[in-house]
Amino acid sequence: MTRRPDEHLSPDDIDAWLAGQPGTAAQAHVDACDACRETAIADRALIEQLRALPAFAPSPFFADRVMTAVALPDPFALRSLDTARRRLFATRRSLALAATLAVVVVASMGLSVAWSLTHRDTIAAAGTWLTASAGQWLWTALRSAVASATEQPGYGLLRDLAATPARLALLAALVSLTYLGGLFALRKLMTLPSGPVSHANA
Amino acid sequence: MASSRIELASATDQEVVALARHGQETAYRELVRRYERPVFSLVYRMVRDRELAEDLAQETFVKALNAIESYRPEFKFSSWIFKIANNAAIDHLRRRELDTLSLDGSPHAETPEAIEATALQIGDRQETALEEVEARELGGEIESAIARLRPEYRSCILLRHVDGRAYEEIAEILGLPLGTVKTYIHRARNELRVLLGHLKQ
Repeated sequence: MTRRPDEHLSPDDIDAWLAGQPGTAAQAHVDACDACRETAIADRALIEQLRALPAFAPSPFFADRVMTAVALPDPFALRSLDTARRRLFATRRSLALAATLAVVVVASMGLSVAWSLTHRDTIAAAGTWLTASAGQWLWTALRSAVASATEQPGYGLLRDLAATPARLALLAALVSLTYLGGLFALRKLMTLPSGPVSHANA
Repeated sequence: MASSRIELASATDQEVVALARHGQETAYRELVRRYERPVFSLVYRMVRDRELAEDLAQETFVKALNAIESYRPEFKFSSWIFKIANNAAIDHLRRRELDTLSLDGSPHAETPEAIEATALQIGDRQETALEEVEARELGGEIESAIARLRPEYRSCILLRHVDGRAYEEIAEILGLPLGTVKTYIHRARNELRVLLGHLKQ
């Protein structure tokens, strides 16, 4: 689009002039027209002032605060997903196989839901039988364990030791002390050495 | 470790985003490092409250980085993050406009006592250290003039002449037609020239 010589500069012309683009007509008009020259020079000064404005920095540890709220994707899961996706789309055969498998899974799920809805009585009866059997089995196991414990040789001694409340308290205190002593010893053993450790090969 | 830091620093935004998508934390941090200052500066100049600007900038990064999978590499990452930041600032300004408190007290107050009780006590208010920093940082004539522009003009002028973004990128960031962006920038420049006219004299 050409501009008449007496026509003032458009904002686009001023932008081009500010950008220093070769536009002899615009330059000639700026040289000749006081109003356009004033606007163009004022714009140039304003833009320089705006460009000189400093960038502000957020407070320290801004990045850390951002990162605490960002959920990083698990690289292992991503890799596995990526591998699975690549293998799936590798050949037409693998894709057909995966599609068949998906159809089978969905169909079997649908069938099982349909069967469950039509055989509610059977499911309820099976549930009752399972609960009763499990309860009976647990009770038998508990009785056997108690009977076996009372037949042990140390049972009589333990019973004598706990015959009075005072003896029972003493026994409990002894057991607690042994337990705490064991814990303390274990902690000592597991403490890392603070000084340098000499190595056989050093 | 140091070499990978240098490699990341010289990588393009798209390359860093690709690494971030593979779960590399250093890549996320690199994106924050690159854009924390420009994003914070834009938001701060929009809302003129340091604490709030920090919250909005943080919200911007969290939103962008948590949705990094949805970022489309054919667009500039800078456009994407500035778009989120600008939307956060504009949304806040619109909300604030709705919630503006009356200096003369609650409009629902019926008695003179109630009006007095609900009026803002500006004279009694102490300026906090943070506000002092803000007053220093944003106290220049040009910063004050920018603050007096309409939010849409402010976004445009800041993106164009402070951040040096191209008109096309600004149109993409603000979701506006190119012609509208140009008009807003020219009007903003005209307003700023008028507002700063006394300096010239």
